[in-house]
Amino acid sequence: MFATRTRTSKIALQVIATLMAVPFLLPLIAMVQGSLAGRGFRNYVLVWETGVLLTYLRNSVIISVFAILIVYVATMLAAFGFSKLRIRGKEFYFWALLLALTMPEAVLLTPLFITASTFDMYNQLIAVILPVAALQIPFATLLARNFYDGIPSEIIEAARVDGANIWQVFRRVVLPLTKPIAAAIVVLTLIAAWNAYLIPLLMLNDPQSQVLTLLPSFFVSQWTNDQTGVLAAAVIAAIPMIIAYLALQKYFERGLSAGALK
Amino acid sequence: MAAPTSLRRGGAAARATPGQGHKHRGRKHTANGLLWIAPALILVVGLIYFSIGYTAYVATLDWNGFILSQPTSVGFDNFRAMFTDAVFWRSLQHTLIFFVVTFTVQTWLGFTFAAIMHSKIRLRGLYKVVVFVPTVLAPAAMAPIFRQIFEVRGQLNQLLTAIGLESWTNAWLADGRTAMGVVMLATIWQWTGLTFILFYAAMSQIDPEVLEAARVDGASNTRTLRSIVWPMCKGTTVALATLGLIGALKTFDWPFLITRGGPNRSTEFLGTYIYHTMMQEKRFGYAAAISVALLVLALTCGVIMSLRTQRSGRK
Repeated sequence: MFATRTRTSKIALQVIATLMAVPFLLPLIAMVQGSLAGRGFRNYVLVWETGVLLTYLRNSVIISVFAILIVYVATMLAAFGFSKLRIRGKEFYFWALLLALTMPEAVLLTPLFITASTFDMYNQLIAVILPVAALQIPFATLLARNFYDGIPSEIIEAARVDGANIWQVFRRVVLPLTKPIAAAIVVLTLIAAWNAYLIPLLMLNDPQSQVLTLLPSFFVSQWTNDQTGVLAAAVIAAIPMIIAYLALQKYFERGLSAGALK
Repeated sequence: MAAPTSLRRGGAAARATPGQGHKHRGRKHTANGLLWIAPALILVVGLIYFSIGYTAYVATLDWNGFILSQPTSVGFDNFRAMFTDAVFWRSLQHTLIFFVVTFTVQTWLGFTFAAIMHSKIRLRGLYKVVVFVPTVLAPAAMAPIFRQIFEVRGQLNQLLTAIGLESWTNAWLADGRTAMGVVMLATIWQWTGLTFILFYAAMSQIDPEVLEAARVDGASNTRTLRSIVWPMCKGTTVALATLGLIGALKTFDWPFLITRGGPNRSTEFLGTYIYHTMMQEKRFGYAAAISVALLVLALTCGVIMSLRTQRSGRK
């Protein structure tokens, strides 16, 4: 975009790029540095000694895995139905899903709180998994339907003529073609589930059994005003997502941009 | 799941899906289609639509949220109270200012950065990762460091003192005017990467010959960017604006985690206001009424968004 014909302009552009990028790194650097201040690595030991780290990590993993599974299965089936099958009132159902697209989490607060206290569902991971998954489904279905629409119906017809039933067609012919959009949906759901804060905050009120995003606040409740320890907890909460992003960079970037544009 | 199916014939039955160019031949499969969409529908209707209905019902009550205490029905009183509630209007005002500022800054940064990354430059991969990584991080994990940087004895004030600008130091989070700035900054820090990636993708679609032609005609770098690249990215900008507006309405994590809506409600958003009204003041009916207002606003934005998508799909 910028034509850089001289050496000076090349260097200038490089400097501008660096000046623009570095501020994005600063909070992360400050965070790691702060987490090692004072007692140094002892801060991390203190976080470990709270004894909840593994439970929180396990809960985050369980919530993410099940949210992804639910969203994947529900979305792939629904989008296929919406795109390729004849269903009476199909567009009505589709609009019903789309209307839920812009749903702010905060609107779920009252009903979730009351449902959970009525049925005593507090501190059960399912009480987090289901709302998180339900909030992702409308969007994921929209993405997947657009993708299925691009798959020619002739492929399905051909397989049908060869005697496959609709389920076999879906499993063996259509599903293998959907990998790109499935990857986007998995990544979007992973980010939403792993980073979820409000719903776990509301539903998991036993401090011994929460999720990784609540680790910093748990640490605050144990050690008031221990800033360095809180930062160590925050670093621990951030690390898994950074690793996931670096390992699956391409899918994250594609997934998030597919998610933003449709 | 392998439901019995029958093929239907007949050209008249073919109904092209909206936004799709090619014609279907008149064969579609009726495989008890409802079974396919049922899991998604049950989850969405069962949770989201149930929640909407329930919230609308609670919005007509005066209730402290305890199962055993009897709610009183108050009709539309909660809504009436809302319209004269200064905090509600302030929250809306915050949302609007927040949207205008974060959207403008993110668009400017993301667009410029995308243009630079499309130029001849070293370490492109590294820059991209650095700018994009905040997008995937949980606000809950990042809020402690944002709080610390802007504390009275935090890094920012230390830096200002060190370079002799002691008079500029401030209790950033305790000052209503600057606390909102910190919340916006955290949001911009998080989402510029996404704006950048989208502009980067949009710019990949531009034919290099167009740019070359402009240069031959003597257009400068900034001129080319402003008069050619920027108009060609308009679709992306509009999409980002609608996303940003809905995002602003949904804002909860950053203000809640950094300032709790304070000081003195100066960073209160609808989401945080609902949370406080419900969890601290135990006014469930009133919290539900604000939720309904929030939902209506978000839905309006959503409908505008899908109308726009349909229109651009048909072109």
